[in-house]
Amino acid sequence: MGTRRLRAAAQFAAVGAALAASLTACSSGGGQPSNVITVSSNQCGGAWQLPGPGWHTFEIYNQSNGGGEIDLVDPANGAIYAELEDSGPGTTSAMTLDVGSGRYAFLCNFADFNPIQGDIVTVAGHATGTPAILPITSTDIVPLAKDYQAYAEAGLKVLARETSALAADVRAGHLDAAKRDWLTAHLQYQTLGAAYDSFGDFDDEIDGRADAVGVGSPKWTGFYRLEYGLWHGQSARALVPVADTLSSDVNALLAWWPAQEIALLNVGLRTHEILENALEFQLTGHDDYGSGTTLATTLANIAGTRELLTLLHPLLVPRYAGLPAVYSGLALLQSLLEKEHLRSGRWVPVSALSVSSRQAIDAACGQVLQELAPIASITEPRDTLNAF
Amino acid sequence: MPSDSLDPTDATDATDATAPRPAAAPGRRSFLRGMAGGVAGGVIAGGAAGGAAGYAYRGGPAADPAAAANEAFVTGRLPAVPFHGTYQAGILPASSPATAVVSFNATVQSRAELTELFQTVTDRARFLTAGGTPPLVGIGGPPSDSGVLGPTVVPDGLTVTFGVGSTLFDDRYGLASTRPAHLTPMVAFPNDNLDQAQCGGDLILQLSAGHADTVVHALRDIAKNTRGGMQANWRIDGFASPARPAGTVPRNLMGFMDGIANPSVTSAKTMDSLVWVEPGGAGEPAWTAHGSYFVVRLIRMFVEFWDRVDVIEQENMIGRRRDTGFALDSTSIFAKPDYTLDPTGDVIPLTAHIRVANPRTPKTASSQILRRGYNYDRGLDPVGDLDMGLIFTCFQQDIGRQFAAVQTRLIDEPLVDYISPFGGGYFLALPGVTGPSDYFGRAMLA
Repeated sequence: MGTRRLRAAAQFAAVGAALAASLTACSSGGGQPSNVITVSSNQCGGAWQLPGPGWHTFEIYNQSNGGGEIDLVDPANGAIYAELEDSGPGTTSAMTLDVGSGRYAFLCNFADFNPIQGDIVTVAGHATGTPAILPITSTDIVPLAKDYQAYAEAGLKVLARETSALAADVRAGHLDAAKRDWLTAHLQYQTLGAAYDSFGDFDDEIDGRADAVGVGSPKWTGFYRLEYGLWHGQSARALVPVADTLSSDVNALLAWWPAQEIALLNVGLRTHEILENALEFQLTGHDDYGSGTTLATTLANIAGTRELLTLLHPLLVPRYAGLPAVYSGLALLQSLLEKEHLRSGRWVPVSALSVSSRQAIDAACGQVLQELAPIASITEPRDTLNAF
Repeated sequence: MPSDSLDPTDATDATDATAPRPAAAPGRRSFLRGMAGGVAGGVIAGGAAGGAAGYAYRGGPAADPAAAANEAFVTGRLPAVPFHGTYQAGILPASSPATAVVSFNATVQSRAELTELFQTVTDRARFLTAGGTPPLVGIGGPPSDSGVLGPTVVPDGLTVTFGVGSTLFDDRYGLASTRPAHLTPMVAFPNDNLDQAQCGGDLILQLSAGHADTVVHALRDIAKNTRGGMQANWRIDGFASPARPAGTVPRNLMGFMDGIANPSVTSAKTMDSLVWVEPGGAGEPAWTAHGSYFVVRLIRMFVEFWDRVDVIEQENMIGRRRDTGFALDSTSIFAKPDYTLDPTGDVIPLTAHIRVANPRTPKTASSQILRRGYNYDRGLDPVGDLDMGLIFTCFQQDIGRQFAAVQTRLIDEPLVDYISPFGGGYFLALPGVTGPSDYFGRAMLA
């Protein structure tokens, strides 16, 4: 399991535990329902009750001698209201949610046993509570991860041709052509969603910043190194090794890539991480090493994000009411960025944006990130729900 | 906390036609009002009366008043300040221990979106000032709250003061014809050294509370929920010190008590004549009634220089004793100076700050302002001196008649050598939000 899931579960349990002491049982009273739900590999909760809608904390007591995952689900379709991922043997853990109207059941998944669903409890009325989510399984994500891998591989093949042409420009001393071809190749790379380690060490070699080593360091390689040289008057002769190294590193990445397995979690995570990276490094102008093209880079990052959304779209439509806002948010950001692409072909650098243009772009990027963020949680593979 | 579920099936709001909460229609940008991290996500399928697209915010369990008061006593948190009222609740009370003043520009693209923005700010302010348990969004998204205040958001005396600047009334939102009569951009006074990047703004937000974490939590929450709708221009954090000695008035970073003489906030007559915009006042659009002009001045103090000045000279520049706060002609802190007995300024110099700012003549009575000052302390200047000073804010009925007149009198006062105003702006603090179906700027946007 990815560390993000563990963190989320720990945070959830911590919230629950903290609230457990302070909450008196479930609002409207009426009887003294026990909050303790006893689970084991052969029974899941026994007879339990809910007094009505409102905040409620369950104490999940794992009576067995094995670990398990306990979920609170909608028995109609397995949608999950709350999950306790790591219920240890003999332990009691809190699970808190805002109970709404509808039907609830516990689902107990102990290692080496079939899942068991417990008694169904119905809460009448029209109250809204903590929403449930239809789980997505590894089976759902595996083909998408493969598709994304194929997309990146196809993109890397194009990139390899482009960096080869770029190296040829530099070798021939055609630095104006090199600048144009540099932009083409860099944007191509930026559509591939390299954010946060998907390309391992290659990203640092191909697209690394000078932050750690300084612009004068021979250890600095890649697109930004070449950009710095091209836009700070360095000679073609000095840049030939930089361009050649870039081209060979791209080829090495292309050779390495097909054997890689994309972590299933990453498909959803990348969906917002690509633009988080853009907000931090492109829209601040931090990664402008002279060409002034960080807004173009951000547009390329949108393309990478869109590729992921396309793959996830069928899974998201029934699960994420905010999906239309994602698309309209990306469209808005895209149109604001495209405004800064001048008819001459030049891009306005971030440092030259008017206050209102910069603020409009920052607002749109921040807002679409809010809308993208839940996708990671929604598309996290949850494999234990195969009873539906 | 009363049920503030805005589920359309909830009877509480079923008949409220004046504050529609449209579901997020496909293709339309939304501000995640109440989504606070995406609650409306991950929920179409699944039961529990589906938190369908749209406004899914709902507060947590009602806090038991006795338990809340006890917790406040034990943890030192201030009690909640009620949010609803004719006037905004943060204007009259004395300065809180912690504050943040943040200027924003609106980035919305239409008047309808501006309305939604103001509704969102209102809704967040309502929740934050009352406190409660933030909604658990389930497993379909990031948490709705930053957790900075723990699992339960404590009110800690939070007040949210929201105002508009003159630039909001340009051609973007069709508000030009309804600009408040006295709202203009702040122009530099002769002794100013304004940094335009720290001046002005379409919107001003002041968050004040018992502790810095309460303020930070509120700012983060409001910023998250309005991310697409407004962008911050500048911000400054501040603090009000406890009064020392006890029973006196808090001091500024020049070591002098600040705010001893202020109009009486308990006199409605005084507040009506000095602080609140006059309903139907000359030239004012009707919607400004119960608002107040809000001036913010960011003022650097050259404290290294100040600390090298003889205390008698300091006292003559200010007009009060440093240790006791007494005016130079008085033997008690709140005694009013009597300048008629000292026409040549032998006791309180003619150029003393308090004398020039408020000469206490019948003519100058109407230029009095309600001052709410805070200290700020943030970093270093290019020569390694400490960047600290004053967040001067004041409320009045008419900036020209009041703050600007006072500041004009203060031109070239002796104190100017030790201070440097570098930022701030002129705003109108909006009328209060009167109840659950009202929102900031409702009359302005009607």
